Amino acid sequence: MGDAILLGAVAYDPKVVTIWEGIRDYFRGEGVDFDFALFSNYERQVEELLAGHIDIAWNTPLGHVRVQKRSGGQSRSLGMRDSDRDFHAKLIVRRDAEIRSPADLAGRTLAVGSRDSTQARILPLHFLRREGVDLDRVTLLPFDTDLGKHGDTGSSELDVLRAVADGRAHAGTVGDLVWVAEQAAGRVDAKLVEVLWTTPGFDHCMFDAMPSLGDAAVRAFQEALFRMSWEVPSHRRVLELEGLRQWLPPRETGYVSLRAALDEIEGW
Amino acid sequence: MSAAAVAVDGGDLTLSGGLLALVRPALLSMAPGGVLALRSSSPGVRQDLPSWCRMERHEYLGCEPQPDGRDRHLIRRGAFGVPRPTFAGVADADPHTGFAPAGALVEPGGPAYPVTLTHRDLALPPETRVLYDQAVAAQWDVADLAWDRVRPLPPAVESALVQIMTFLAENELSALYVPSKFVARLHPAFAETAMFLATQLMDEARHIDVFLRRAGGARGVSSVTTARSLLALLQLEDFTEAAFLLSVLGEGTFLDLLRFIEVHAPDEVTADLARRTRADEARHVHFGIAHVRHVLSVDPPAAGRLEAAVRRRSAALAGINGVPAPIQDALTILAAGGDEPARLNRGHEAFQQLLADMHEGRLKRLLHAGFTPAQAQVLSDLHTPNFM
Repeated sequence: MGDAILLGAVAYDPKVVTIWEGIRDYFRGEGVDFDFALFSNYERQVEELLAGHIDIAWNTPLGHVRVQKRSGGQSRSLGMRDSDRDFHAKLIVRRDAEIRSPADLAGRTLAVGSRDSTQARILPLHFLRREGVDLDRVTLLPFDTDLGKHGDTGSSELDVLRAVADGRAHAGTVGDLVWVAEQAAGRVDAKLVEVLWTTPGFDHCMFDAMPSLGDAAVRAFQEALFRMSWEVPSHRRVLELEGLRQWLPPRETGYVSLRAALDEIEGW
Repeated sequence: MSAAAVAVDGGDLTLSGGLLALVRPALLSMAPGGVLALRSSSPGVRQDLPSWCRMERHEYLGCEPQPDGRDRHLIRRGAFGVPRPTFAGVADADPHTGFAPAGALVEPGGPAYPVTLTHRDLALPPETRVLYDQAVAAQWDVADLAWDRVRPLPPAVESALVQIMTFLAENELSALYVPSKFVARLHPAFAETAMFLATQLMDEARHIDVFLRRAGGARGVSSVTTARSLLALLQLEDFTEAAFLLSVLGEGTFLDLLRFIEVHAPDEVTADLARRTRADEARHVHFGIAHVRHVLSVDPPAAGRLEAAVRRRSAALAGINGVPAPIQDALTILAAGGDEPARLNRGHEAFQQLLADMHEGRLKRLLHAGFTPAQAQVLSDLHTPNFM
């Protein structure tokens, strides 16, 4: 019990229990002593990681860059989903709003997701500013749902799409996966709305550990993690729920824009 | 212009406006690494296609503007979700292919189905397809019999007939239940066996119906010997043992019983139903023999296991001596045509002849199934006195 690697995850949905019980059973089957603890929000999880109460935190990008900053760069990044790489955000517009470029947002209403959602609020607004859009001249319609979950539930992104579709907003910002998944599922009316603009890419979630987690434990965790396979039925069930096909090694290049955005809005 | 294996013209369709119905099937038909070219005049596709590729783990290679102003998007098919062919002739079927029909392309990563009959030699006897086709062609309707010609029989013959029909229906119920246990254990790659068993189940259902209809409102006795004997069949957990004990030995013995009933039938309907049910039973026996013969040919030691199964059942029935009295008496009266003492002697002789015929028939079928004459003698002698 005392030697188990203890991982923290945020319970943003009941399926989180299924996911981590599945991964715990898998890890134990692979000979890795592993357990997990669930938190109600990422702020609490980050504090508990920094305090040494958990060994690893499954973090959103916001949680990840905060851990790195608060640990003075001492934290260790252990891995990410394939779907965490090259995330983008989309600017969705009403066809009847006559918005031909991001600059046309001036004087219009822009629906945005939760203020702690990287893909539906923080980074799309950051990149729109970079694009030269004066956000002071744009009326924001924010959907601050599920605060503390950092946009994991996706509910604020669906709120944004609904607001654009029913005319409460002229445009809206959502993550690329929600946008294409809604289209692929046939839930987007292409006569009403269309995509106008795509942000540059950025990376998403990350397993963060503190240096106190030894090399052997890190190695055991990573080796077992990367052995999970989409083609093994019991693994696939967990991977589907967690939204990935394969686990990948960490990379840090995809968080530069998020740090810049947090500096800009004093959002640390 | 970059080379592509497959080209699709998407017109002005948007991603949510039908384009995926062109792109997805094209990619599904390609091997991983293959390149798809998509022509499109929809500006939104420039934004959406890279994101969709990311979601589906295909590689978006880029967009080449064409002289006509349209876009030519290039996609490299990713490595996930590539359906694999299943093969009809496979010796060991993979439980992960589920209910996918043989020959279907199966996406990997599906759950394992709880099927246990996955080995071709045990699950799909030769001739199964032919027997299935014959069974379908040979289905008949209970209404085809001339029920309106049934007339009252002398009381002794009537009650003998009721007893015989009760006994037949009881035994046929076991022949309905026992094969049904194995249908859900068969790997769907060998669905032809399940389909054949379905015809067998339908046959038994019709037989039960016709026997009870002939018995009218009356019923005979169900003996403990019959109940024990049929329970021993129902408790079999091995498909080959069940095919052997039920079809080769049990239903095989019933062929002689039904022939006896046909010959001594008191009326046309009874003769007709015995003849028709016997034709169905002959198909079941044929299936059982083909199954056992094939297993013995690929696995000769299986003969020992089958003999052991017969011995176990015989031991479970130890202490039971002879044919259940109600059915023995009924068959004797039927063959005698009544219960007058002068006739009964003839009936008794006919019954003794039936037992001899059953033994001879079993020996023939056992030899046909691949047993030696010595094995056949032992197995026939150990067979249940309950016939089935």
